[in-house]
Order: sequence, then C-alpha cells, then structure tokens
Amino acid sequence: MRTKFSGILTLLLAFVVQITFAQEKTVSGTVTDDQGLPLPGVNIIIKGTSSGTQTDFDGIYNLEASNGSTLVFSYIGFETQEVTVGAASSYDVTMEAGNTLDEVVVTSFGIKRQKKQLSYQSEEVDAEQLNVVQPQNVAQGLTGKVAGLQINTTNNGVNPGTKIVLRGLRSISGNSTALVVIDGSIASEGAFNALNPNDVESVNILKGATAAVLYGSDAANGALVVTTKKGSTEKFKVAINSTTTFQEIAYMPEFQSEYGIGWQTQYERIENTNWGPRFDGVVRPIGPTLLDGSFQSVPYAPVQDNLKNFYDTGVTLQNTVSISGGDDTSSFYLSIGEQDTKGIVPGDKYNRNTFRFNGSKTLGDLTLSVNTSYFRDDTSVSGQQIGAQDRPLYWFILNTPNNIPLSNYRDWRNNKFANPDGFYNGYYENPFWAVDNNRDNDKSGRFTSNISAEWQANEWLSFTGRMGINTLSTIGKEYRNGLSFNDDITYSRPNASTSFVTDYERQYLQYTSTFIANGEFDLSDSFSLDALLGATNFTSEDRRSQITANNISVDGFYDISNSAGQLQAAVNEETYRTYGYLGQLNFGYNDYLFLDVSGRYDYTSSLPSDENSYFYPGVGLSFIATDAIPSIKGNVLNYLKITANNSTVYNDLKPYEAVENYLQPAYFPFANTNGFTIQGTATDSDLKKEKINTTEFGANFAFLKNRLTLDASVFKTTTTDLLTQVTPSVTSAASSLLTNIGELEGKGVELTLGAKILSFPESDFSWDANINFSAYETVVNEVSEQTDQAIVQAFADGGIYASEGEAFPQIKGSSYVRDDQGSVVVDQSTGNPIIGDVVSLGKTTPDYIIGLTSNVRYKGFTLSTTWDYRTGHVYYSQLGHQLEFTGRSMASVSSNRQDFVIPNSVYQSGTDANGNPQYVTNTNIPITGGRQNYWTNHYNNIAENYVKDATAVKLRELAIRYSVPSDFLKNTPLNKVSLGVVGTNLLTWLPKENRYADPEFNNNTANSNAVGLGGYFQTPPTRTYGFNINVEF
Amino acid sequence: MKKYIKYVQVSLLALAISSCDNDNYLDVNVDPNNPTEVSPDLILPTAQNYTVRNMYLGVGGRYTNTFGNIMMANWSETDGYSWYDDEFGYIMGSNFYDRIFDYSYINTLKTYQEVINAGDETTDNFTAIAEIMKAYHFQMLVDGYGDIPYFEALQRENAATPAYDSAEAIYDDLIIKLDEAITTIKEADSDDQVPGSGDIVFNGNMTSWIQFANTLKLRILVRQSGMSSKQAYIQENMNNIVAEGSGFLLEDALVNPGYSNDDGKQNPFFQDFGENIAGEAVNNNLATCASEFVIDFLQNASDPRIDRLYEEPAGGHKGTPQGLTNYPDGFEAADVSNIGPGLLKGSTQSSPIMLAAESLFLQAEAAQRGYLSGNAQALYEQAITASFNFLGADANEDGSTDDDAATYFGQSKTNVGWSSSDPIEAIITQKWIALNGTNGWESWVEYNRTGYPANVPVALNQTNADRPVRLSYPASERVGNAANVPNQPNEFSDKIFWAN
Repeated sequence: MRTKFSGILTLLLAFVVQITFAQEKTVSGTVTDDQGLPLPGVNIIIKGTSSGTQTDFDGIYNLEASNGSTLVFSYIGFETQEVTVGAASSYDVTMEAGNTLDEVVVTSFGIKRQKKQLSYQSEEVDAEQLNVVQPQNVAQGLTGKVAGLQINTTNNGVNPGTKIVLRGLRSISGNSTALVVIDGSIASEGAFNALNPNDVESVNILKGATAAVLYGSDAANGALVVTTKKGSTEKFKVAINSTTTFQEIAYMPEFQSEYGIGWQTQYERIENTNWGPRFDGVVRPIGPTLLDGSFQSVPYAPVQDNLKNFYDTGVTLQNTVSISGGDDTSSFYLSIGEQDTKGIVPGDKYNRNTFRFNGSKTLGDLTLSVNTSYFRDDTSVSGQQIGAQDRPLYWFILNTPNNIPLSNYRDWRNNKFANPDGFYNGYYENPFWAVDNNRDNDKSGRFTSNISAEWQANEWLSFTGRMGINTLSTIGKEYRNGLSFNDDITYSRPNASTSFVTDYERQYLQYTSTFIANGEFDLSDSFSLDALLGATNFTSEDRRSQITANNISVDGFYDISNSAGQLQAAVNEETYRTYGYLGQLNFGYNDYLFLDVSGRYDYTSSLPSDENSYFYPGVGLSFIATDAIPSIKGNVLNYLKITANNSTVYNDLKPYEAVENYLQPAYFPFANTNGFTIQGTATDSDLKKEKINTTEFGANFAFLKNRLTLDASVFKTTTTDLLTQVTPSVTSAASSLLTNIGELEGKGVELTLGAKILSFPESDFSWDANINFSAYETVVNEVSEQTDQAIVQAFADGGIYASEGEAFPQIKGSSYVRDDQGSVVVDQSTGNPIIGDVVSLGKTTPDYIIGLTSNVRYKGFTLSTTWDYRTGHVYYSQLGHQLEFTGRSMASVSSNRQDFVIPNSVYQSGTDANGNPQYVTNTNIPITGGRQNYWTNHYNNIAENYVKDATAVKLRELAIRYSVPSDFLKNTPLNKVSLGVVGTNLLTWLPKENRYADPEFNNNTANSNAVGLGGYFQTPPTRTYGFNINVEF
Repeated sequence: MKKYIKYVQVSLLALAISSCDNDNYLDVNVDPNNPTEVSPDLILPTAQNYTVRNMYLGVGGRYTNTFGNIMMANWSETDGYSWYDDEFGYIMGSNFYDRIFDYSYINTLKTYQEVINAGDETTDNFTAIAEIMKAYHFQMLVDGYGDIPYFEALQRENAATPAYDSAEAIYDDLIIKLDEAITTIKEADSDDQVPGSGDIVFNGNMTSWIQFANTLKLRILVRQSGMSSKQAYIQENMNNIVAEGSGFLLEDALVNPGYSNDDGKQNPFFQDFGENIAGEAVNNNLATCASEFVIDFLQNASDPRIDRLYEEPAGGHKGTPQGLTNYPDGFEAADVSNIGPGLLKGSTQSSPIMLAAESLFLQAEAAQRGYLSGNAQALYEQAITASFNFLGADANEDGSTDDDAATYFGQSKTNVGWSSSDPIEAIITQKWIALNGTNGWESWVEYNRTGYPANVPVALNQTNADRPVRLSYPASERVGNAANVPNQPNEFSDKIFWAN
C-alpha cells in the first residue's frame, strides 16, 4: 500500500511541476478607492493559486504572474475585482467601496445569501484562524475567537471533552448545545468533534435563534454551520500537514508541605491522609510489615512533586495529507488524517483516522455533489470505577500523603511494596496498579455523508435536494480486576473490590432529507425578492446495549463468559423524528434595505399527534445606512449596517419524556422474581415544548477604509413554559415533576473589534488584532408557584440550582452564619462557626468573556496569539473538599493545626425584646479540633469554603510560523512551505483563592447544564507545545 | 441524462414529502425498553423488596436498622474507621438519616400505592397486601418523625405538596385501613387472583397476611398503651382482633425474592455488612462491631445468643465503647466482635420484616396489661425461644437442637427470668436482644416509649444525656414542601405523641 501511494504521489508531482512551468513576469500597479485615494493592505492573489501579495501604504503592489493568469483584488468592505494579465505589466485598479460586504455566506440548509441581506449576526472563522495551533478538534480551535461562543474544555484526557454554548443557557433541564450543521445537513456534536480540523474550510456561527429558525426545534441554541473543503476548480493541490505536540502537567493543586502521613496527629504507617505530626526528616517505616518481616522506610519529609511525577509527558502526532483539484465542471477534495496520542496518564492511548472525499460535478444545469467522511478511533484510558468505591484515578493519586515517593511504586508486578498485598496505603490502591487493572477501551466508527443535487432550472429558480446521513457505531469493553489479598495478611488493606467486565455497543443512525426551491426575483428596478420554500425531515435512531459479568473466574481474562454469576444486560433504544415545511421571503429595496420573513411549521414525534405541531416564525430587517444615505459615508465611516430581528422557537421534549413508564429497578430480576415500578418522575398530562423568544439588534461599522471594524449586537431571550423537573415533596411519591413552568431571561451584549493596527507593506510588517467581548446573563424569573428553586445537580452540602431572581446556573450550599456586620457567628461552646442554611453562593457563567487574537507578520514570520479572559463567575471544587479531608490543603495548615480564635467572629449572647439574636465579639473562644477534626468534620461541611472565583486568563494559543518565501520555492515543485512552533494553554493566571484546578473542568458524571461543578474526574490541567510543518505542492 | 436528473429531483422531493404524509411516521414515541402497563403481581415484589432495602441497606445510605442498632448500642465502631461519627455525635439535622423518610415515600410507599393504582376488580388481594404494608411503613414513619403527610400523600402530580397530618390521626386511620384490608381479604371471591410467587413474603398465604395485619394492629395499639385517653379505644380494638379470629403472626415474616450470590442480588444486609460476591468481607463488616455495653450485658446474663449475634474473635468477645477517638491497641477488626453468624448467614438468607419473637413479646405485653387474655409469662418465654430459634442459638453443630432457651430464661436474673423481673421491663429488654441486628429501629422506638433497656450509655463524646427521641424532617421537605413542613420539634425532648 505504501509503495503504491508514493507512486501516485510521484505522478501527481510530475503533473504539478508541469503546471508551474509557465512563463512569469513582474506585474505592478496602484490600487485606489473610488475617490482616488490609495488603498493599503489590499490582498492580491493569482486566481487558482495561493501566491499573492498585499499593497503597500501607497497602494502599490508588485508580484510575479504569468500571461493569462487572473489577479484577484480583495479588500474587506470593497467589491472584489479581477484583472487578467495580458501583454502589459502595469495594472491600476480602482476598488468600488459601494456595495460592501458582498461576501456570500452559507446560512441554513446550505443556502447562500449575501451578507448584506442578513438581518442577524453571524461570524465566520476560516481554516487559517481555526488551525493556528493545529488543535485536535474544531471546538478547541474556535475557543476565544468568537463573541458569544463559550467553549469549555471540560476534560483534558487523550480525547478531550468540550461543552459548546452560544450566548448562555436557555433552558434549565433541556438541551443547550448549539446545533451542528455540516455541509448543509444537520449533524451532531459528535460529528463535529470527529471532524479533522484540516478538512474544514470555515465555520459560520449563527448566534441566535432567528438565524436558525428554519431548523425548527433544533434552532433554539444557535448553530455552527461547517463547510468542509472543496477542490478548487483550477488547481491541483497536494497538501501535507504534520504536527507533533507534547503535553505535560501545567500545574498541580497547591499542597501543604509541613505535615505527612498520619491521623489525629499520630504517625500512622498506612494512612492515606496527612494528619500526622509535623515533618522532622527522621527516617521512619511506612506501610505494613510484610509476612516476610520486611518493611520500607522513608524520611518523614515532603517529597517534591510526588503526585506530579505520577504523570508522563504525553505525545501527539497528527498527519493529514489532502489532494484536491478540479476542472470547469467538477471538483474534488480527498484527505487522509491520522492522530496518535500517548496520554499523560501511564497507559492512556488514543488513535484516530479520518478520511474525507468531497466531490461535485456539474452537468449542464444540474450540479451533483457528495461530501463523505469516515472516522474511526480507538481509545484506551484508565477506568472510572476503580476500587470498592468506584472512584476515578485522580482520587487515588490525591490520596497519597506528602512524604510518599509515589513514582517508586510504578513496577507493581515485581516490587513487593507496590503490589496490592504490600502497598503502603491501607485504604486506597496503588494508582500504578489501578491503571493497569482498570481499563476502559473503545472503538468507534463514524460515517457521515451528504448527497445533494441542485438543478438551476433557469436564471432565477433553482431546486436543491439533499440527504444527509450520520452514523456512529461504538464497541467497548470496560473492566476492573478484582482486588483480593493473601489470606494470611492481618494488617489493614483497602476494601476488597470485585472484578467485572462490561461489553457495550452503541449504534446511532441519523438521517435527514431536504428539498428546497429557491427563487431570486427582481420585482421592479427597486424591489427584489429572494424566496425559498422547502420541506425537510429528520430521524435519529439510537441503540445502546451493555452486558456485564461480575466476579470473573480466570484472573485477567476479560470476557463475559468468564463468570459463574448471572450476567447483567440492558438495551436502550430511542427513536425520534420530526418533519417540517419551511419558507423564507427576503424583500430587498434598492439593495440597502432588506426585510426577511421566515417560518417553519414543524411536527415532532415526542408529543401526542394532536399537539405535536408548532410554528416557528422569524422576522428581520437589514439596513445598509451607508448605501441609503451616502452623505454619512466618508473617510472616517465607510460602512454601516443596522439589523433587527425577532423570532420564536421551541425546544422540543426528549423522546418518551411525555409518557410515564414502568421501570425495572436495577437489582431485578432475582431468580424467579421479576419486578417493576412506576418511574420516579411524574409528568404533567399536557406537556408542551419550551418557548424561546429572541430579539436582537445589531450594527456593523467599518471605519478608516476598513482598517477598523466594529460589530455590535444586543439581544434578549425569554424562555417560557420551561420544561422543568420541579422538585415536589417526596411525600407525593414523585421524585420530580416534569412540567412546563417558569421563565428564564437572557440578556447580552457582544462587541467585536477588528483592527489593522500597523501595516508597513514596504517593510513587510503588519499587526492585526481582533478583540471580542461578550457579556450575558441568564436570570430565572420564575420557577413555579410552589417553589422558587429547582436543583440541577446536587453535591455534598449543596448543589447547582435554578433559583428565582438569580442568575442561572447558581451554586447554592451551606454557608457561614454572619451578623449584620458580616462577622462570622461561632458556637459559644465550641468556637466553631455555626453552619448556616443553604444559600446562594454565586453564578457559574462569567459576567463577561474577552477574547483577543493577534497576528504580527514580519516578512515570512507570523506570531499568532489567542488570549481569553473570563470573570465574574465561581465554581465549586469537589477537589478542594477532598484535599481538606486528606489534610493536604493549604487551609489545613493555616493555623499550624492549633485551635485558634476565628478573626472577626461573634457569638450569640442572647436575644433582645423582639427575639432578635444579640451578638458579642468573640475574642477568646478558639475553635475545637484544630489539629484535625475541625477541618475534616466541620470546616469541610461548609460548602462556601469550596466555592471559588472562576476567573481565568489564558494564553490559549501561541504560534510562531515561518512561511518560506515563494522566491525560494520557485525552482521546486513546492508551492508553499511553512514551519510553525505551536503551544496551547502555555500560560494561565488564576486568582489566588483558586488553588485547585482549571475552573473550566466539569464533573463528567454531572448533568450537562450543571456548569461549575469541578471534580476530580480529570487529570490536573495540562499545557501542550510542539511543532508543525505544512507543505503544499 | 437530463431526464434522469429530473427523476432524481422528483424522487428526493417525494421522499421529503411522502414521509410527512405517512400517519405512522411520527408514531414512534413508545419506549421500546420500558412498559407503560404492568399488572400488580409484577409490582408487588418490587415494593416488598423496597421494604427490605428501606430497613437494611448500609452502603451508600444507611437506613432504619443501622440507625437503631447504633442508637441502642448493639453496634459500635472498630479502630481504624471513622464510620459512625455522626451517629455517635447525634448530629441531628435535615441530612441525618434523611433517606429513611425520602426512600420510604419515593420508592417503597410509591410502589405499594402503584400496586393499588394498577389493579382492577380481580386484584383485591394485592390491594389488601399493599394497604397492610403501607400501614407497616406509615407506622415506622410516625414513630420516627411524628406528624407526616398521610391523607394527601402518594398522589404524585395530583398533590405535589401534601399537607402534614397529626401523628395520632394517622395512627387511628392505620387501624381503619388494616381492618378494611382484612375485610377485603375475607370477602375475596373466586374472581380474585391469589398472589403466588409475586408475593415474596407469604407466597400468597392470605391467612398469614391477616395474622400479620392483626400483629401490626397489636403493635399500633400497644404503642399507645401509656395514653390514658385511649384505654377504651385500645380495649375495643383488641376485642375486635380477638373477634376476627385469625390470631397473630406465628412465624417470622421473611422476604426472599430469590437472592443469589450475584452483584446486587445478594441479601442486602449480607451484601452491605457481610461479604461481597467474591467472598471478601466488606468494609462495613470490618468497621462495625459490638459495643462494650452489649457484650457486657450478654455475658452477664450468660446469654448463649452472644455467639450468634457476634463473631467471637480469637481473644474472646470484645466490644468497643461508642465514640472513642483514640483507641488503645487491640481494637482492630481482628480483635473485636463483628456482626455474628446468626445474622450473617449467607448471600441468600431471607430478610426478616417482623420476627415471630416480636409478635409474641407484643402479645405478652398486651396480656400483662390486661388487654388480651393469655399467660404473659408463657408468651414471654415462647418469644425468647423464638429468638433462639431464629438466631440458631438452640441448634447444635450436628443439627440437633436442645433447650438452651429454657436454660437461659430459667435463670433467676433480672430481665431474664420472669419471676425475677419487672414484667414490662423484662419484655422490652428481651425484645431489644431479640431484635438485635434485624430491627434496631423498633428497639429504639420502644426505648423511647418505655425507657428500657435501662442504662444504655450514650457515646463517650456525647454532651446530651440521652439519645434523640425523633429524627429531623429531611432537607428534601424543606425544599419541596417548604410551605407545609412544620417547624422542627426538638429531637431530644419533643417525644412522639404515644410517649407523652
């Protein structure tokens, strides 16, 4: 296969070389605007190639071009011009700045519209911006680059997890993930994550519901419209992209280093906690004395980085080869990608391949195209149910005291102090043993395909039919080795855990078909109409099955046959369908005023047939002020567009949600006995969809000949009839009540400022920057008549809530009791703070996010950076809570493990005549149990102690790229060569109070709207750095 | 070619539209994995299994049996574990043992109510069983919490926030409901199905259900025996029981749905306090041991049941005082008396929901108080014998049995031999021993009523003079039923109505 492939490459190269042997000469000229002023920074590209140049400060350009080639002059805000190179060597060009933003953008269902027609805000990220640091997935490449788009990397494993939210959450319990559309067909978040970022031409972010109203119920959360690369019609191109990156721990939680292994101030050889005496450096035994009489001794002193050293340096190799080309009637794009990752956790591996074929062929007035990709991956990670407590790996690492040289226990097979019988820890297993004996391995294959036919019936009428398929099949095996010990052992060992092996499978099939008629009419000299009529349907079928065998017989053989016990099996199938009719009328008046009226009539399978249809209307206005009123246009302001829109969409129910079922409880059936009970959630008898109304105003400015652009929008979203799982009284026998009540209101502002800050074409230097600012807040206006809060996810002493009158999601938890002056109220007898009620402790979505991208170019070098800053939100650290128990936290040493008087505290001395409590300043009652119990049994029952500022400044991306000048490549078959050094998350600033982890990380077992619950389910935060080579023939 | 292309278009169009015209296209909203209708014979086993879990679970949530065994000093804690700190500290509050309340309503009572709701005219016997078991649980809840939602409870979306009812009114209604259930069973005709294996308590023996219902009535009535205002009421209802004629529970009421040594299918008490399916002792087993008090008590009374209730370590029986913070050497799992073989028999052991011994002790007390005719001493001694039988304390290794029970209660020791004791104190004290490990909750409730057994110590680190007399309303009610849940009565001083 390999030799065959290189044979093909040789052939291709020969072909490419042929093309590049045309006659070239120097072409020059001056580019001016319609008022005769020179335009600096105009892009000039030789059509069909990627070679080109920019005009200098005086609007002058020089480049090498051959006779017959076409020069394309483009500049944001001006109409693109083309000039064919003839005999002359000088071509002056005047750019028309009139009908600016004639850019064509891809909107719903792959419909192309001119940007000026759009009455809503959208933002496009192109391939270059996306791939600055060659991210593993598209979502990471978008982070920080688009106003209103918040992407949280919730897990930094070998196959990172992300949560994508546009303009905040609009639902308490429902879906809040943006719709993904790939090449015109609805796909899925999974398909989005499976894209090879190098295959993506652009991602157009439709931020509001109005933009996506034609998608019906999927539109509620905006849409990411992905266009994959197509072959260029005039050029045959081979591109090779190779990236190697290294991943390492960026920082660990802050740990105390004064006390080590022990409990209640006593040195204990087998502890998982750090409640021993103060370090003294004396060599002492740790762990049990084994049956052979041997034991280990280590100095009673902290071991530097003892937990960090558990982790390896991860390595990721990514290679993509693509071939594209075409002719007048056809084009194709073909790519093969591979990624191979070795994770930072010993044994974690990830491998994936992507294949893509995009092709199109035009036959007369008909264009047929197909966009197909296949993705497969193979993941092997440490299990999430380690030990008798079913804990994730990080837990075991955190339960290692300060003075334990953890990395010494790597060789658990041969080292008698590292194997289960001899490991020092009497409560938790050796993490090195754990990663080898608890695995979660799976393989997935995903096929996505999109077939379309477009018939241009005549100049003004076209018909498009499209079918999209997205299938996923996953098979996996998860296993845990049992933990049992030598029967003669009398010393304390971790709780024995039983082995299991689970085989699971998932088959997901999603298909959609659409038929659209699109007409473009000039009604009169002044009036135009673009009209669209269509029908579409959507089906998803999901089937998950799993089968588990417990207590396997043959040690280390993980097959479900290998057990004497009953197998546990479960199958879950889900089918969901919708169809809808859609229409859109876009009236234009003199090309500067557009009225857009859209609607979709939608039917869903998730509601009974007499109440399953909904109408989704959208209306918008777009006004190009600088065209309508030419007098306002000048050297300062050269473009202004104002938009307004409103839409109503509905968030659908999940399949089967409207019907109460009987469930078989987990432990049934027993031998000879089966059993069922009614589901815990009671459902309202007339459920309906959530209603979301959105109003948005926007303006797009261009100043100083487009050197400065500003896009601004304000929006308001009101969600009513929220599908809420209200918490009734448990005595009603319903654990929750699904009903349509409550109201959420979201408001936001987005600003995007683009600036060509410096531009010195004569010295080949430029600096462009883009700053985006998003501020939004979602407030719960009403939960229900009976209750003013609904819980999204509970944790110890608190939870993530929707709470009336407060921002959503909100952390609530147990708190300190304070008097009017804010002093902490303590118990007079113990001196310990009184633990107060569960109160609101902060919202988990930021007040605002600022993203900054900057590109500095000098000759062939480009320095690109992406920063983002998020602030105004908090998160709850389950990790912090755990560190308190193990005595590894900084707080636990803040009083030298002595009892102390809580500063600025009071105690209640009595009550006044009205029964109000009276407080007296506490100067002499110290807390009780400062040596341990205060921290493990009292302080850590106050959730407020673990709610931390989630502010973060991150240097998300840094790349230094060198593009070899085209002069150097003249006599080679190479068209483009660039080398880059890339890094992600190289710098992170967190507030001092957040000593734990990246606040973006979320507990992966939690409800997906439970944003702000930081757990110990990930590895510590990491950074990556590496290099990239990009070659095009 | 063009012609062909048009066909492509037309067929795509047809596909898009035709699917919409099809009435069945959207008719896919029936969950293929979970039924929408189930008959009572498949719901009752679930409910009865919940009853057991509601008592015995001890991992990932502790329930009535753990609570009672700790409160009544049957159980304490082994060195090396910080397992029962909250219990020893009597850390009352809305999260302390809140599962007893929550689980009872959300799982157990819900499912019994569903047995009734899913029934039809042929399932009267199922309905009667469900009503009897509801009474069993509601009494448990009243005994632990006092006023609770009852008359408006269990109606799901139709009454999301039920009102609280007076504990005494609930007690009175339980008697009525039990009478109705007995009548329903007696009036059942040939159209009414008789539960078979779907009844995992009595396997469809409806006479046993009537006896169980009568015993519940007896328990409810005896509980109120200290209330002067209710004496006539008690006597009248006692007379009704006698008149009904089926008598009281004769055998242990045991649940067994078909336990096996499989994950999640073991007897829940054995699973959470005994061994996992690989035969390894679970943490709870090692962490839980006898209290110093109970070991002393049993040894002083020369009670042979000690070896059945507690596993004897190599160094002889040893308990730990509750609430010890720094243990001296020799209190590790291998040194102390963990839960014994009479309680932890194996993965498939049945789960008692009421022992014959308890039925007999109740009869003894009712006889002693004059509500029922009968020989209180004989009933007392039969009760002790039943306890010996249940624990296997009369059995020899060769399978034969002997009269250890008679030898035991023949001793002239206080609260052992009938004639050497105050009868009521002896009955309650012996009931405490008989229910050790299987129904600590009932021992705690009876202690709250009678103050027996006497001198049960509180934990060492305890500042309260005595244990709590009730539990706090759970946090769930403060959230989900805030308008109705009463202010929390004092957990140490505000006794349940029958103790006032």
